Amino acid sequence: MLDDVTKDKPVLTLKDLSIEFPTPAGVVQAVKTLSLDIHKGRRVGFIGESGSGKTTTALAVMQMLAEPGRISGGTIDLGRTNILELSEEEMRRARLSRVAYIPQGAMNSLNPVMRVQPQMWDGIIAHEGHLDRAELKRRSDAALASVGLPLHTAELYPHELSGGMKQRVCIAMGIILDPELIIADEPTSALDVVTQRQVMQTLKAIQTQIGSGLMLIGHDMGLMAQTVDELAVLKDGELVEHGTVQQILQAPAHPYTKDLISSVPLVGGESFLNPDARADAPKRASSEPLLRFENVRKDYGSVTALHPMSFTLQGDTPQIISIVGQSGSGKSTMGSIMLGFNPPSQGRVLFEGQDVAGMNAAQSLDFRKNVQAVFQDPYACFNPFYRVNHALKFPYKQFGLATSEAATQRAMEEACDAVGLDPDLVLSRYPHQLSGGQRQRLIVARALMLSPKLLIADEPVSMVDASLRASILSNIYDLKDKYGISILYITHDLATAYHVSDYVMVLFKGHVVEAGPPKEVIGAPQHPYTKLLIDSIPWPDLDRSWGDGRTDWDPAKLEAKAARAEAVYRGTVPGFDLIKEATFG
Amino acid sequence: MSTANMTRAERRQARRIRRFDNPWLNPKLIWGAGLLLSIIFIGIVGRFLWNLDLVFTGSSPLKLPPLGFENLRGQPGVMAHPIGTDGGGRDMLAMIIIGAPNTLFVGLLASLIGMSIGIFLGFSAGFLGGRIDDTIRVGADVMITIPPLLILVVFQSAFGDVTLTMMALLIAGFVWQSPTRLIRAQVLSMKQSGYVQMAQLSGASTTHIMFREMMPNLVPYLFGSFIASVTTSIVTAVGLEVLGLGPQRIPTLGRTIYEAINAGALIQNLWWWWGIPTLLLGVIFIGLLLINLGLDEVSNPRLRRLS
Repeated sequence: MLDDVTKDKPVLTLKDLSIEFPTPAGVVQAVKTLSLDIHKGRRVGFIGESGSGKTTTALAVMQMLAEPGRISGGTIDLGRTNILELSEEEMRRARLSRVAYIPQGAMNSLNPVMRVQPQMWDGIIAHEGHLDRAELKRRSDAALASVGLPLHTAELYPHELSGGMKQRVCIAMGIILDPELIIADEPTSALDVVTQRQVMQTLKAIQTQIGSGLMLIGHDMGLMAQTVDELAVLKDGELVEHGTVQQILQAPAHPYTKDLISSVPLVGGESFLNPDARADAPKRASSEPLLRFENVRKDYGSVTALHPMSFTLQGDTPQIISIVGQSGSGKSTMGSIMLGFNPPSQGRVLFEGQDVAGMNAAQSLDFRKNVQAVFQDPYACFNPFYRVNHALKFPYKQFGLATSEAATQRAMEEACDAVGLDPDLVLSRYPHQLSGGQRQRLIVARALMLSPKLLIADEPVSMVDASLRASILSNIYDLKDKYGISILYITHDLATAYHVSDYVMVLFKGHVVEAGPPKEVIGAPQHPYTKLLIDSIPWPDLDRSWGDGRTDWDPAKLEAKAARAEAVYRGTVPGFDLIKEATFG
Repeated sequence: MSTANMTRAERRQARRIRRFDNPWLNPKLIWGAGLLLSIIFIGIVGRFLWNLDLVFTGSSPLKLPPLGFENLRGQPGVMAHPIGTDGGGRDMLAMIIIGAPNTLFVGLLASLIGMSIGIFLGFSAGFLGGRIDDTIRVGADVMITIPPLLILVVFQSAFGDVTLTMMALLIAGFVWQSPTRLIRAQVLSMKQSGYVQMAQLSGASTTHIMFREMMPNLVPYLFGSFIASVTTSIVTAVGLEVLGLGPQRIPTLGRTIYEAINAGALIQNLWWWWGIPTLLLGVIFIGLLLINLGLDEVSNPRLRRLS
């Protein structure tokens, strides 16, 4: 019925849209006079950092702005309807049937106590009244089939699905009424690269099939390049650039867009590290290897998270060893075993010849001082009750490094300078007053103050904005040589591992499947699993389409194939010795 | 901008924003605290200004109404007994001055003891885990299912006359379960948080983690839980007293209500005898409720509104 209307009119017209949030400190302009059209069948990406107004715009289109936000100016037209004039009931009818919203965390968006099928029916019943079961079943099955899920998924509860499957169920629910516009708000931010590629391909295919417009919100330039036709770059609520993907990637006009593009590290691309920073590292006193894994294995119940693994990290010259893999590959388990948080089910972890599990109080304190960590979530790492300097001051005193109050203060200021923070500005604040990037730098500064011998960095940059990732990593990299710290870098991001590490281990279901220097392992992968990971990276490069761009790409089959392949060990680096697993499979 | 040339609406808005910045200026909290403090105030000031010997039986004429009223015998209220006397010739004002703080005292003491037990057990269960956790959790769950009044009735009838402190101790045995479970749950989730891991990395001792890292973040929960258990304790104490159990010789609000009912005050239209203690109990409960609501808004900024 709307076909003849939408031919000449865009599915979504934003005209001079302004959104504001009144707060005690004054009115915050979240979106400033934004004008944009989304045409039928077009995919438009909204890219920008957190707080740039991407999600706020999307929620305004759904008329679901959180209190006290309000639209202070402009119009939003959905096809020919001005949605600002719709009543609550009319808007309710428009949601899902005309504009569908696919939320960020699919895991939180499904009702945990309902099977998938009745949840899908809810949407149909709310718009079309009660239909007979056979008809409902036919339509929900068709929706599930269109996102490539097996039909028995309908009978499952959300907790029985994987993250990628849940996200695809959300997509299926979104398209069940053939909306004119689909809004996808960072639909893959919680998924690893392999699943991300699969979900995005599903979304693209279904959107092409029903011919709706797509508004994709994200912060990953690579993902955008692989997915959308047009790109809108937002900064502080302003649309700073808008054009086709080709235009923007090849000739970005605004400096912020250039930053966004250059901040994505590329495998084989230019390094974001400073090559001149190398300095002579301080010598170590002990001749024992710094860290040694002896047949370490970890089981959780009947599941083996980590298969027996042995390696020796000499630690005489500071090195960065990267451990890469998908979620569930056992890489974080490895990290917590090294920190002594999680005892291995079998085998021993030796730190300078001492078994981590059997240390006395003095040895344990020494181990804690020398083995420090940077965790994934910079928001959780500070106690909200204290000012941030508590997190820096406390361990410094605890390990007996503080001689006087003034010396502690000086050490804190030096550490802040080393990571590029202004100590006067950050040290006396509360954690919620700092940005994610600032907090993560402070955690790095905290580790530095203790001058540890080993730093375990567990996904240190996966939760900070893309533009900050490179700078935090190069911070860590520079400090390695300056302070003589060996670093274990745990990540799912192969591009950064390629640049920073001296040695890379690829972990797959608790096994090392490929290991060696990064230029070989990531630059020219041999094991099918490493290839799968590298194919899944979305490149911000239009010539290099996602893998080979086939639509029959099925990660499950590729993983099954990878599980049968032999592990590949590609040469060694001095100072790190990985012992090949005797058995596999 | 000076306050003089602001419109009324602007001034109101400014006041709201000030309140947003300083959450302790919460009107519910202030009113609630004010009501409770006024009960304590009556207790303290009354001890200096009023003759407390009037609580003894037969110290005054019987069944006098409050000032400005007449009882069924046509006697008017007198200045010497401004809120009347009871059927035993005791002055109501003296009874209130002693009884109301007593009731509050039992509630506060019982929940203070209950909370201390709860904090100790909750932390032990959440932090140590394993067998200890199982024991404490099952213990608390079992205790929750037992109706406290039933057990206390049996206890108190066996004890006969008890002191206020003894009664508070007995009640405390029934108000530690919910704080234990609440704190255990919070400790379990906090144990996984980044800042506790960071403290472990910093070589912090278990006591440091418990009391310096976790405890400050628990304070809003502890406050809320404390107020809730004061309410429960007072309800339980008054319940026992109205049944004629509890302290026999010490005036409390519940005991006064018991005596009024027992002496047939309802039939004889001696409404001040049971009505005034009931009114005061209402004031105490409303005060506690307001404090609880206020604390909720203080500790949970999402409940605070600007509009």
